[in-house]
Amino acid sequence: MSDDDRPESLEARLRALGADLAAPAPPPADVARAVRARLEDEGAEDERARRPDRRRAGWRPSPRVAAASVAVLMAVLLGATPQGRAAVVSVLRFAGVEVHVGGAGPLPTGVPSPLPGERRVTLEEARRTARFPLAVPSALGDPADVRLADGGRVVTLLWPGVRLDEFDGTLSVVWRKELGEPFPEQVDAVRGWWIQQPHGVSYVPSGGGGPHEERVAGPTLIWQHRLVGMRLEGPDRAEAVRIASSAR
Amino acid sequence: MDDDEAVTRALAGDLDAYEVLVARYSAVAHRTASLLGAADEAEDVVQEAFVKAFRHLKGFRRGSSFRPWLLRIVANETHDLTRSRGRRSDLAVRLGREREPYGPEDPQSAAVDADGRSRLLEAVRALPHGEREAVVCRYFLQLSEAETAEVLGVRLGTVKSRTFRALRRLREEVGRER
Repeated sequence: MSDDDRPESLEARLRALGADLAAPAPPPADVARAVRARLEDEGAEDERARRPDRRRAGWRPSPRVAAASVAVLMAVLLGATPQGRAAVVSVLRFAGVEVHVGGAGPLPTGVPSPLPGERRVTLEEARRTARFPLAVPSALGDPADVRLADGGRVVTLLWPGVRLDEFDGTLSVVWRKELGEPFPEQVDAVRGWWIQQPHGVSYVPSGGGGPHEERVAGPTLIWQHRLVGMRLEGPDRAEAVRIASSAR
Repeated sequence: MDDDEAVTRALAGDLDAYEVLVARYSAVAHRTASLLGAADEAEDVVQEAFVKAFRHLKGFRRGSSFRPWLLRIVANETHDLTRSRGRRSDLAVRLGREREPYGPEDPQSAAVDADGRSRLLEAVRALPHGEREAVVCRYFLQLSEAETAEVLGVRLGTVKSRTFRALRRLREEVGRER
């Protein structure tokens, strides 16, 4: 029996071979930060998932009372530590919109596609069918076009050059946005957020199944009108705030 | 901070402590995922595994070793991935690929061949799935038999018999071509 046929020799050769096999890995500190960012992300989601239960309990008997107490607490700012930011993301969740800042790749190239179950309706039908009280900004008058989607979860009002999405943004994430720096700017007048830069936006269907195809959005104002999530796309900041303030 | 302290603090929600654990085991986790077949997706697998490990940290038996417990999650994630992609033999591809960077004129390649390592690698590649995994854990990742059993989710006796059969097969293969 030669040396090489002895079991211990073969085992030693296997170990040496293993040591030769490169398995590329990113720096451990980067991995740690990325994992942490995801955990912080999830932690906030859990918290959000718990809140609606409390809210729902008070909601049925008296929606109005509950509404007043809820409107203030929807902004969750994550990744505020320098480490969290470096890892990839700051996440802003507000009124059913989840904004990821800092981790965005190139802007999406997909063409805009309709939302799930999207159909054209009249304003009256939208008011009847939507799962929330529809608001119309008096500054713009009646919309040129009205779309209802995803079983009344989203209503889109369209005017030339202006798009206003209204959605049930109290319980879950409805829109996901990916943008590079800078972080969205807070708009005190409507207690909302202003995103100046072009960015990717995708719709997160209520039935799960992952976000819808991403499209490019222009400057956008996000705010909450009573319990309704609103995203207004098109006008510049001053005009957007004026329109938002006129929503009734 | 040792593993036990880090786990205790992570259980209390201390993410700094968990970061320490992630950084400590990141390299071996990537190596495990790669060699068990995650290939290019090792990074995703490892991140997912660390996130799941944190969620299931309560299920970690205190006083036992963190490394095999974590690597089991990595191995399961890797299995899920390879199953879903329908490429069970990806380990073989992976191992095969490792040799590509060495061109024929690369002196290291000559050394490797002279050593019989490439032939040995081919033989490992050709092993049945279970035996190959045992060899990867025992020799490439240098885990103990008990750790290998935990990581692969099989009994200690199974690890022993698979390793034994694998070594016999490898000896035959490598010996015959000599």
